[in-house]
Amino acid sequence: MSESSDITKEQVLQVRLGHGANCSSIGSVVDTLFATATVGAAIFAAIVAALASEPIRVVRPERPREPKGEPES
Amino acid sequence: MIVRYESWGAWVKLESTAAVVAVDREAVRALGLDGGPVWSAVSTVSTPIEVHLAVTARCGAGCKGCYLDARPDGIEPERETLESSLDALRDAGVFTVAFGGGEPTSRDDIAELADAARTRGLTPVLTTSGLGLSDARMARLRGFEQINVSYDGPSDVYSDVRGFDGAAAAERAIEKLASLGVRVGVNVVLTRQSFPHLAQTLARARELGACEGQLLRYKPAGRAASMDYLASRMTSEQRRDFAPTLRGLSGLLCAEGTFSLRIDCALAPLLSTDAEIMSEPSRLSLFGVFGCEAGASLAAVTVDGRVAPCSFAPPTSLRAVDLPGGYATDGELKAWRTYLDAPPEPCASCAIRGVCKGGCKIVSRFVSGAHGPDPECPRVESYRAGVA
Repeated sequence: MSESSDITKEQVLQVRLGHGANCSSIGSVVDTLFATATVGAAIFAAIVAALASEPIRVVRPERPREPKGEPES
Repeated sequence: MIVRYESWGAWVKLESTAAVVAVDREAVRALGLDGGPVWSAVSTVSTPIEVHLAVTARCGAGCKGCYLDARPDGIEPERETLESSLDALRDAGVFTVAFGGGEPTSRDDIAELADAARTRGLTPVLTTSGLGLSDARMARLRGFEQINVSYDGPSDVYSDVRGFDGAAAAERAIEKLASLGVRVGVNVVLTRQSFPHLAQTLARARELGACEGQLLRYKPAGRAASMDYLASRMTSEQRRDFAPTLRGLSGLLCAEGTFSLRIDCALAPLLSTDAEIMSEPSRLSLFGVFGCEAGASLAAVTVDGRVAPCSFAPPTSLRAVDLPGGYATDGELKAWRTYLDAPPEPCASCAIRGVCKGGCKIVSRFVSGAHGPDPECPRVESYRAGVA
């Protein structure tokens, strides 16, 4: 993991909130779509903060059958 | 957080916040990472981030519109088979696995399957009717990140949609699961009968402890692939009224931040009547709204272990255990992904085509006989009527 993250809101391309639990079609939260700009900005600020603080684990689907080592950090 | 490199950057699944986020390459570099071979690869086809896993075709509810045609004597895969599928989903870099069926809680090992998913780094979620769920069985479901209960409305509305009254069982399950600390949502199938009661249905679900309402378009698959579909689907007027209704419900139910509204992929074309969205379509993408992602960000695994573009689509010949290596190259899956390469009008000139992706192909195949513009999209209807 980098020593410090300087991710900006502009580098966040999409935010899909929640987990959803429907087993037949993929869902997307839409109330944020209709929310005020202030609410939207707060969501992106929280996402950027989380990106900067959480420990990182990388998954590598391009080499799925190879044994994996320790998660990157 | 879990980072999965993509050609454009990476998908990131956060742990502290329930969110999956797409970030560009610069953001990935800011994390001290580099996409390496993924960023230099020619192929840009990726594996799904969400997979719907049918763990049984067994169900005694007999819903008249069941998309799987589940029955009391439906087949049920061995746990070892399902765990092999979970291995493959882990290897493919999938984030979320939604357990369904059939009635998944009819399996005695459903809690163990949730644990098996978590052990592999997958986030397990579940859909249930709530029918026949004892308190003890519900308590065993706490390993799921979220559980959605099928709840189309109060008893008469529920009966209209499913052919029997299971509303009381659903309400009991919502309330009990919420009291156990499980994050609970409701799945509301929108038909011409249920749509007028939507506000009442969602308010009741929220009152019972649900934190999310997932709205589902009725689709002609399984037992619903019949002439009855045409009589049950939302009317043209209701489809045009969907977007303003959604806006209204959002203000009514979500202002306190304790309840969220979701729409399924098949409802994306119905947003085309919203002038604000059409004038700023980038907001759809920014807030992660997905249209048809069949065979792309979404896949399904059938009870016989084959990969399907989505739960409503016929399965391909690709086996789930071969998904990591075969997803990008499977010809049948590719056919579901390529619609956007050269979409006909009115999709070609639609501002939200990049998200909507032509609408629900299950509907277009049933109504029009081919992959094409969703015939129930208000914009498509207007175009074909010569007024777009």
